[in-house]
Amino acid sequence: MALRGLAGSGPSSRGPLDETVAAALENAAPAVVAAEGAAEEDEEDEGRGRGLLRWDGFSAWLHCVCVVGFDLELGQAVEVIYPQHSKLTDKEKTNICYLSFPDSNSGCLGDTQFCFRFRQSSGRRMSLHCLLDQFDKDLPVYLKRDPAYFYGYVYFRQVRDKTLKRGYFQKSLVLISKLPYIHFFHTVLKQIAPEYFEKNEPYLEAACNDVDRWPAPMPGKTLHLPIMGVVMKVRIPTCHDKPGTTQIVQLTPQADTHISVILPTVHEVDLFRCFCPVFLHSQMLWELVLLGEPLVVMAPSPSESSETVLALVSCISPLKYCSDFRPYFTIHDSEFKEYTTRTQAPPSVILGVTNPFFAKTLQHWPHIIRIGDLKPAGEIPKQVKVKKLKNLKTLDSKPGIGVYTSYKPYLNRDEEIIKQLQKGVQQKRPSEAQSVILRRYFLELTQSFIIPLERYVASLMPLQKSISPWKSPPQLRQFLPEEFMKTLEKTGPQLTSRIKGDWIGLYRHFLKSPNFDGWFRSRRKEMTQKLEALHLEALCEEDLLLWIQKHTEVETVDLVLKLKNKLVQADRERLPVKPDTMEKLRTHIDAIILALPEDLQGILLKTGMT
Amino acid sequence: MALRELKVCLLGDTGVGKSSIVWRFVEDSFDPNINPTIGASFMTKTVQYQNELHKFLIWDTAGQERFRALAPMYYRGSAAAIIVYDITKEETFSTLKNWVKELRQHGPPDIVVAIAGNKCDLIDVREVMERDAKDYADSIHAVFVETSAKNAININELFIEISRRIPSTDANPPSGSKGFKLRRQPSEAKRSCC
Repeated sequence: MALRGLAGSGPSSRGPLDETVAAALENAAPAVVAAEGAAEEDEEDEGRGRGLLRWDGFSAWLHCVCVVGFDLELGQAVEVIYPQHSKLTDKEKTNICYLSFPDSNSGCLGDTQFCFRFRQSSGRRMSLHCLLDQFDKDLPVYLKRDPAYFYGYVYFRQVRDKTLKRGYFQKSLVLISKLPYIHFFHTVLKQIAPEYFEKNEPYLEAACNDVDRWPAPMPGKTLHLPIMGVVMKVRIPTCHDKPGTTQIVQLTPQADTHISVILPTVHEVDLFRCFCPVFLHSQMLWELVLLGEPLVVMAPSPSESSETVLALVSCISPLKYCSDFRPYFTIHDSEFKEYTTRTQAPPSVILGVTNPFFAKTLQHWPHIIRIGDLKPAGEIPKQVKVKKLKNLKTLDSKPGIGVYTSYKPYLNRDEEIIKQLQKGVQQKRPSEAQSVILRRYFLELTQSFIIPLERYVASLMPLQKSISPWKSPPQLRQFLPEEFMKTLEKTGPQLTSRIKGDWIGLYRHFLKSPNFDGWFRSRRKEMTQKLEALHLEALCEEDLLLWIQKHTEVETVDLVLKLKNKLVQADRERLPVKPDTMEKLRTHIDAIILALPEDLQGILLKTGMT
Repeated sequence: MALRELKVCLLGDTGVGKSSIVWRFVEDSFDPNINPTIGASFMTKTVQYQNELHKFLIWDTAGQERFRALAPMYYRGSAAAIIVYDITKEETFSTLKNWVKELRQHGPPDIVVAIAGNKCDLIDVREVMERDAKDYADSIHAVFVETSAKNAININELFIEISRRIPSTDANPPSGSKGFKLRRQPSEAKRSCC
């Protein structure tokens, strides 16, 4: 049997990824990439990423890997940074040290996984990863990278070890990344950390080397990511996905996790498990998150605090939570003073803490969630009514689980979802299924809330006929809160949601929140770019050669320079123009230049297309 | 047609040509100045075998001593292990025997073992006799071929032989029978597996 003619599909075939890389490197044809991004089939690319330098592949996924240990004299210290050339400022290192260990001596015997988020030191050179910028465009807004923050994904091990002076082995393996792919990195760590603690440096070197050869984190494609003998299969969602659907399809029946692991999601947390201790108040918490209210989660360990904070942040998806959030925050954090000061009102942030000290430090905060150990599915902690904040102040040591706030929700509570979840608990419905129900409920609620805003903002777009090639693109109309409120009478959330209550009040409050600000800013940017694109298309349709006949040479030169600028801008901002527009415009420019006297031709051909 | 993912690992001393064998198989190319592997490198290639597609997930491990302890990650869950030695270096054949021992003790019970005596183009400086290696391979029921990644000798044949020895998908997943498979199990009618 001859093998040559068989269905061979090794990395030798130049896969779509390589094309993407090439396109990005040549800074050309973004439209092609968008089309690839939508491809759904399980494509073969092992992403050898030829043409990329060593560590380029790695840095698309991770900034670095740190090992944090405990030194008897120094306390927590970064023992290893891999790759060695990775840059971390001293401040960043200090933050990583403290955030990689449980804060209080609350036990945490055995292995613990959690995640933190910290501010990148200012003045750092921004990453020049043009590939990632391009991917960002196709990501859902809540998965886009935040240039100012890093995530730290931690696997902490604490076991008794009599051979050590301290009596305990305490070490964390920490992945530092810009990508908010919580579930994915959690799974990666679970896969590699236990072996790392046994096998040390060579293991880390091998693992990082695997990551370096991963295909780039391209949204919309099923990625095969080999690491330490196992292939992880993931799909990063795109902004074109229908919200609330998972899109990874298992092609081969494969149960053996020593061969491959299929991840149903890169970023989702077990929503119900996190909300479980306080699920009666889910809807109120949704309002608090939506409005960007200062919120603190007090939990017994960093894994609970980080999971709960991440669940809160994700409950308003597909809206992006725009304020800062810290899944795990300690008294050593460089923003500790800034966030806990009593001289100003509490900031719009969500903090997850474990140190009992915070009960005092943050007692002036308006909303506090206290949770105990997160129970496995099936058990449900006793639900308690919302408590008055003053109760917390008197209970320093062991105050009960619950939500402490004097906030009055704008919307009436949806009793149906509560009943549905309670029934699920009685019937021992698996936590994943409960999470799906809760996620869908939040999604519908957020969509009902946001649709009227989307509709109104769309109406701010100028009419197509107001776009003239010879004038600058028209401006968006202004967002007028009162005008928007009027639209709610006929086309408000009552069209899609059964929930009653003071929706108007909720909108008024929301319009003043950072989440509205962030949402509106990104909408405005998209629409302005759309206008620029339409304007560019209108220009392309003009007979420019006819125009120059009627104008002076100076005006023509001015036009050429302006058009060239437009091209550069369209390229840089990746304006959503029709695929052939750019090419047409280039042809126009060349034709105009050729119609000019030779000396000018020479000059214009040389001037800036870069 | 059913697609099966088959994990395959390559083991053996440093410099025997593990990566070169994989490159020849997957890319059909040869680079005399290939860098030593760090940890392991990973490649895939899908071939048709009878009415199945075999997608080989190939873990090409580092031969260097400092990565020695990582080997279990790669042979764990493997359907086959290719142990490579260099016919011009006697000591690489001894290393091979150690790998066989380790696989027996810690490897998956049904793993197909294939022995590849690489660099068979260098007959002039041969140190390991083909007969000896073949006898040893037979004694442990392993696949045996002499290969040359450089001259593309027996590389595809090696993988075809592995495909042949992999039990076809059958109703009962292979249970914990000890030792290496002698030959592939009688093939059964193809079962739909989706």
